[in-house]
Amino acid sequence: MTQLVTSVIEDPIVRTRNLNLYYSGAQALFNISMDFPRNQVTALIGPSGCGKSTLLRCLNRMNDLIIGVTVDGSILLEDIELDDPDLDVVELRRQVGMVFQKSNPFPNTIFENVVYGLRIAGMNNREELRVTCERSLQQAGLWDEVKDRLHESALGLSGGQQQRLCIARAIAINPQVVLMDEPCSALDPRSTARIEDLIAELREQYTIVIVTHNMQQAARVSDYTGFLYEGVLIEFGLTKKIFTKPNEKQTEDYITGRFG
Amino acid sequence: MSAEYRKRVKRWDRIATWVITGGGMAVIAAVILILLLIVRVAVPLFESQEARKFWGSSNPSTIEPDTVLAVGMDDYLETGVLLDRAGRFTFVNFADDSTIGEIVLEPPYESPSEILAAIPHHGLGYSLLWANGAASFARVVFSRDHHVDRPPTTAFRVDTLAEFAPPEDGLIPIRTVTRYHDGRATRADLLHDNRIRVTQEVEETDLFGNVSRDSHVSVLDPAVGGEIADIFVDTEGLALFAGTKDGYLMRWAMRRVGTIELTDSLLAFENNRAISTLSMVFGDVSLAVGDEQGGMTVWFPVRPDYDPQRRVLSHIHTLKSHRGPVTAISPSQRTKSLLSLGADGELHMDHMTSNKHLFGLRPESPIRKAALSSRANGIIGLDDAGRLNVWAIEGGYPEATWGTLFGKVWYENYDEPAFVWQSTGATNAFEPKTSLVPLVFGSFKGTLYAMLYAIPLALFGAIYTSQFTTARFRGVIKPAVEVMAALPSVVIGFLIALWLAPIVEVHIMPFAVSLAVFPACFLIFIVLWQPFRNLKLARHIERGYEFIAFIPIMLLAGVAAYFIGHFVEDMLFAGDFHRWLFEDAGRNYDQRNCIIIAFGLGFAVIPIIFSITEDSLSNVPQRLTAASMALGATRWQTVWRVVLPSASPCIFAAIMIGFGRAVGETMIVLMATGNTPLMEWSIFTGMRTLSANIAVEIPEAPVGGTLYRILFLSAVLLFILTSIVNTAAELVRQYLRKRYAQFQ
Ligand SMILES: Nc1ncnc2c1ncn2[C@@H]1O[C@H](COP(=O)(O)OP(=O)(O)OP(=O)(O)O)[C@@H](O)[C@H]1O
Ligand SMILES: [Mg+2]
Repeated sequence: MTQLVTSVIEDPIVRTRNLNLYYSGAQALFNISMDFPRNQVTALIGPSGCGKSTLLRCLNRMNDLIIGVTVDGSILLEDIELDDPDLDVVELRRQVGMVFQKSNPFPNTIFENVVYGLRIAGMNNREELRVTCERSLQQAGLWDEVKDRLHESALGLSGGQQQRLCIARAIAINPQVVLMDEPCSALDPRSTARIEDLIAELREQYTIVIVTHNMQQAARVSDYTGFLYEGVLIEFGLTKKIFTKPNEKQTEDYITGRFG
Repeated sequence: MSAEYRKRVKRWDRIATWVITGGGMAVIAAVILILLLIVRVAVPLFESQEARKFWGSSNPSTIEPDTVLAVGMDDYLETGVLLDRAGRFTFVNFADDSTIGEIVLEPPYESPSEILAAIPHHGLGYSLLWANGAASFARVVFSRDHHVDRPPTTAFRVDTLAEFAPPEDGLIPIRTVTRYHDGRATRADLLHDNRIRVTQEVEETDLFGNVSRDSHVSVLDPAVGGEIADIFVDTEGLALFAGTKDGYLMRWAMRRVGTIELTDSLLAFENNRAISTLSMVFGDVSLAVGDEQGGMTVWFPVRPDYDPQRRVLSHIHTLKSHRGPVTAISPSQRTKSLLSLGADGELHMDHMTSNKHLFGLRPESPIRKAALSSRANGIIGLDDAGRLNVWAIEGGYPEATWGTLFGKVWYENYDEPAFVWQSTGATNAFEPKTSLVPLVFGSFKGTLYAMLYAIPLALFGAIYTSQFTTARFRGVIKPAVEVMAALPSVVIGFLIALWLAPIVEVHIMPFAVSLAVFPACFLIFIVLWQPFRNLKLARHIERGYEFIAFIPIMLLAGVAAYFIGHFVEDMLFAGDFHRWLFEDAGRNYDQRNCIIIAFGLGFAVIPIIFSITEDSLSNVPQRLTAASMALGATRWQTVWRVVLPSASPCIFAAIMIGFGRAVGETMIVLMATGNTPLMEWSIFTGMRTLSANIAVEIPEAPVGGTLYRILFLSAVLLFILTSIVNTAAELVRQYLRKRYAQFQ
């Protein structure tokens, strides 16, 4: 197996080196070495089943929840090895937040949803919770819409609002990295546009890794793009470059929609 | 899709809708129907008893009413009898209002044919005082002759059971009570000088068949209490009572012939209310006292607080008062009902246990003499005009009232009012005790202990299985637990009553100690495990199989509990916990107790709670747990804050379904509780539940009788209790569901 791409990025926040992942023996990621640039938006694209979500989950060890997963190689957040059994996974997940494809608010109030991460960390100061809640909702661009109904059920929100609530919930604990796995796939164009704007704003403060099937979206929101194919990182580089002059034929075919 | 096909789909849709709606309605209808059927049997319990005027003689009898000493009637309400001063019994047929016979008694000891006083006893028995002071006890006997070719006819005769010679001192008494029972004849005379003379005669047959007669005469002088108004002797001649015009009650024990002991002498009424008449309630335990102000009270001996060795005659029941003085009391020979006659000629029928006034009878012409038939199904009364009146007593269940079913009742031979269930006794004279409270208590007690044991096990089991093990393991454990639910309850009852109960009885201390030893071993193991958890070897243990490491630990804990338990028993309880419990703590240890029941009911309930809870926990969407974990929550935080609240409506429903099952469960409690209707929380005693009580007693209960209907009432109660629990549960569940709704 040949190692294909390594675009050199200065001061990356997350690095993977020769990462291999197996689901009960079946290999899903092959030798991935990739740098995720700090305070930038990185998009992961590729055909269905190529391992985008799998790679994303490696970054906050959500793969641990799946039985039978084995990983080798190394993943570094700053200079901490993530693939270390002694690592404090709880702390890692507070550093690397995640937004899922389908919005998944807890069956609780909007307020409680946003402060969940704080509560499980043992914070109970009402004032502090309130302040964080407001800040997060504001960052997620949801504050104006929900400020009068903070104590109503989160399930009363629309799909797009729920997804932004989930983003607010993820950033409430102030992570360094936010992972987003197809955050807009279940939303209408307007909500999608809202979230894309939001990503653009959040990038000031957070490093964002986003998986998407929407090429325009990848082109619009990301600074860097990685193209995965059958568990192999085919190409990685500046989005502009990938979308205009990709090095690889496969990348070009995929972007132009010739397969996938 | 063709139009034809679409039509077919629609048709099937409609049919399915109808079938499902119809089925649902049928179920609801069936439940309501069952409830109605049960209620219909129980409701007559609260109907009142009535006396229906049945017959009245049209022409005043040829007998002068003043000469009539007593009246009586047969059980078929066909023939009446009058006793007059001349010692003549006149038999009257109600059907054609004719005299069908006369029997004139042969006066004893050459007395003139004149009776000075007659006191009826037990329906058709009469204590007779003759003009020369001789006395006798006579009984009218009706017998029924059946014929092939015509309706049955009633024959009658009069038996004289005992005769007493005129007193040697020549003092002719005011009135005389005579009794004859089992070779012992007793005569008590109330003398003009306010003394009581008691004559006891025993007939004894020795081994050689020689009959010897022994006679004792004692004269009692009460000295206090003023003029004696009435005296009474119980059927066997073992106790003598007297009531005075100053309101004193006295009791003498006459157990041994020749020794008469005054056991009670007390002021019955504070205001010296004059007592007018005495009688004993059926069963010869309670004394009914009528007074000059119309009061009707019932007394029986009770152990007082200050002296538990003695029994003191005490005022227990107060029945409805008459307007005038009470002149006669005629107790029923079937139940604890009393017929009393006031000076105003009004009749009252009251039930002693329930204090219930059953009915009053007030015919135009006042009644002077009255009696109940011996089956207590009719009343005969002679009025001022010399006419006979006959009433048939119909319907009603005098012993059942809300008070006796749900309140404390002071029963005969009890030292205080109590909630008691004891529906039948050794004798006919037994006072049925039908409080449903101990049964409701028993149902809740059993259920409570069972739930105390079942809920934690089932819930923790379900949480562990659904959240902390692998799918493969879950696939094994869940069906296995569900098989538990399929076990017939009779098998569970059988096992725990006959196999487990004796084991627990012997090893009660190890058992108690294990409650502490198991968790302790568990904790110690977890602490010891910490250093090893990150070893390479430990990592190879697949998640969800850690419990295998516990099996040896738990076995060890069991062995430890066994030795520690017996050691503790030796140290603290001198090697015998049961004796310590009984002698030092004053509590009983029943072999079939709440521990056993908790196991048995728990065994039946755990699979239900486990299964529903496990399902609901596993059905909490994975995206919620993933969201929680991604926010840095630990597994326990996720379970506690996300999974449990989301599943809470179902968990609650599971517990309530389990509760309903435990309350209604019959076979296990029937076999394993001992069925003693106690009212105490002790975990070492059994109980009797509503459901088991129905199962135990319904085969013995005569259809349509009081007990039968009370059992149906208890079924209604069970029904209501479970519906209340279920409704409350459903309300809470709805609330929780709204609160933690997963889907919009
Ligand atoms: N829990 C799992 N157990 C076993 N195999 C899995 C599991 N999750 C994913 N896989 C396999 O790993 C490969 C990568 O899957 P992954 O979900 O990462 O794809 P993806 O790129 O996110 O696809 P999509 O765009 O459809 O979401 C697939 O072949 C998939 O079948
Ligand atoms: Mg995916």
